[in-house]
Amino acid sequence: MYVPPAASVFEQILWWMEIATEAFILLRSINARLYGKYLAFFIYLSAVLLIDLLRFCVLTLHPNVYAPLYWYTQFLHAGIGYAVILEIYRQTLNNSPGVARIARTFLWGVLAAVILKVTWNAVSGPVWSPGTTSAELERDLRTVQAILLAGIIALIAYYVVATGRNLKGIIFGYSAYIYASVVSLAFGALPGYGLRPGWRLVQPIAYLAALLIWGCTLWSYSPNPAAETESKIDRDYKLIAEQTRRALSRARSFFKMGGEL
Amino acid sequence: MSQLLPYLGVASLLLVVSALWARQLFLTRKSRIELIVSQKREPTSGSSASHRDHGERIFDLGDWDFVSRNAPSEIQEMFLRERAILAISWLRRTRARISLVMRAHVAAVGQIDDLHLATELKLALSYLVVLTLCDLLIVWIWLRGPVRTRKMVGRTLRTVAWLRGAFEQLMARVSAEI
Repeated sequence: MYVPPAASVFEQILWWMEIATEAFILLRSINARLYGKYLAFFIYLSAVLLIDLLRFCVLTLHPNVYAPLYWYTQFLHAGIGYAVILEIYRQTLNNSPGVARIARTFLWGVLAAVILKVTWNAVSGPVWSPGTTSAELERDLRTVQAILLAGIIALIAYYVVATGRNLKGIIFGYSAYIYASVVSLAFGALPGYGLRPGWRLVQPIAYLAALLIWGCTLWSYSPNPAAETESKIDRDYKLIAEQTRRALSRARSFFKMGGEL
Repeated sequence: MSQLLPYLGVASLLLVVSALWARQLFLTRKSRIELIVSQKREPTSGSSASHRDHGERIFDLGDWDFVSRNAPSEIQEMFLRERAILAISWLRRTRARISLVMRAHVAAVGQIDDLHLATELKLALSYLVVLTLCDLLIVWIWLRGPVRTRKMVGRTLRTVAWLRGAFEQLMARVSAEI
C-alpha cells in the first residue's frame, strides 16, 4: 500500500497488519506443507512480502525516493498477480483436460491482446509519469486479471468442477481484492478522486480481507475432491455432443411447428 | 465519467460470476442433503411411469372434446382453467428436465480430453434457445389464462401436445442416464 511519509496512524497499522498476516500465512504454509502444493501462489505472496519489506526499508532510510519506488514496485506487484491466476487455472483444470484446453486458449488470447494494448499505449502516450502511468497500467493489468478470473469462475460453475477449500479460498480472496482494485483504480484515475484519502484505503483494506480469507482457508491442505461418480454414458465426446445436440434440436423443431399453426 | 464504464462493467461481471458460483456451491450442498432424504423416501413414493401418464392425461385433446360437447359452460371454464395450470406446471417440470440433460452433458464431457469449443458453444446456445422458448410458452399460456375462446384453447393444447412429444424424447434420455 502507498504510505506517504505523513501517513495516518490507521494507514500505518494497516500496513503492519498486512506484513504480519503475509508472514503468518507463509510460515503456516511451510509448517502445513502447503507451499509446494500451491507453489505459484506462495511465490506471489513471498514476492509481495519482500516488496512490502523493501518499501518499509526505503521509507525509513530514504523517504525521498519512496514515491517512485512505490509506483515501480506496485507495477511489479500487479504483474506477479498473474502467478495467482495461473495457479488457479492449473489447480482447477487439473482433472479436466478438455476444459483446460479451452481455458488455455482463452487465457493466452486475452494476455496477448492486453500486452499489445499496454505496449501500444506506452509507446503512443505523450508523457511518461511514474505516478499516473503506473496507476493506469496497474488498473489495466488488474482489469485483465478480473476478466481472466471471471472466465475461470464461469468455467468452474458451468462444468461444475469440484474444488477444495484451499482453491475456493484462493479464488474468492483474490476475486475480492481484484474487484476492489479495479473499482478503486478506475475511480482513482478520475480528476479529484485520486487524492481523496478514502480511495487510497480501499485497495489495502481489500487486500487485508483477502489475506484473512487465505489465512482461514489455507490453514491445512484440502485438495480438490475427485469426480464423484463415473457417468454411465459413453465417454466418447463426439457421441455425447451429438446426442445432446439431437435432443435439443428435436425440442426446437417442435417449437417451430407450433409457430406454423 | 464514461471512461469508468468498461472498468466498472468488468468489475461487475466478476462480482456477478462470483456470486453465481457461490450460490451454486450453496445449492449443491443443499441439493445433496435433499437427495439423501429423497432417496430414503423413494420406496414409498410412486413410480416414474405414473409421471409420464400424468403428462399424457394433461394434454389429451379427447378430454376437451368430451367436456366441450357434454358439459355446461361453467364446467368448461373450470376445465380450461385447471388444464392451463397443469400445462404450466408440466412445462416447468419439463424445463427442469432439459436443464438436467445439459447438466448430464457437462458432467460427462468435463473430463474428456478432446473437447471442442465450437461444439460446446453451439450446444450452450441451443440449450438457451430451448429454455427461452419454453419460458415464452409458459408466459403465453399464462397470459391467455383459462383461455377465453375455444379456438385458442385448442391451439394452446395442440402446441403444448407437440412440445410434449419433443420433450418426452429428452426425458427418456434423462431417465436412461440417471
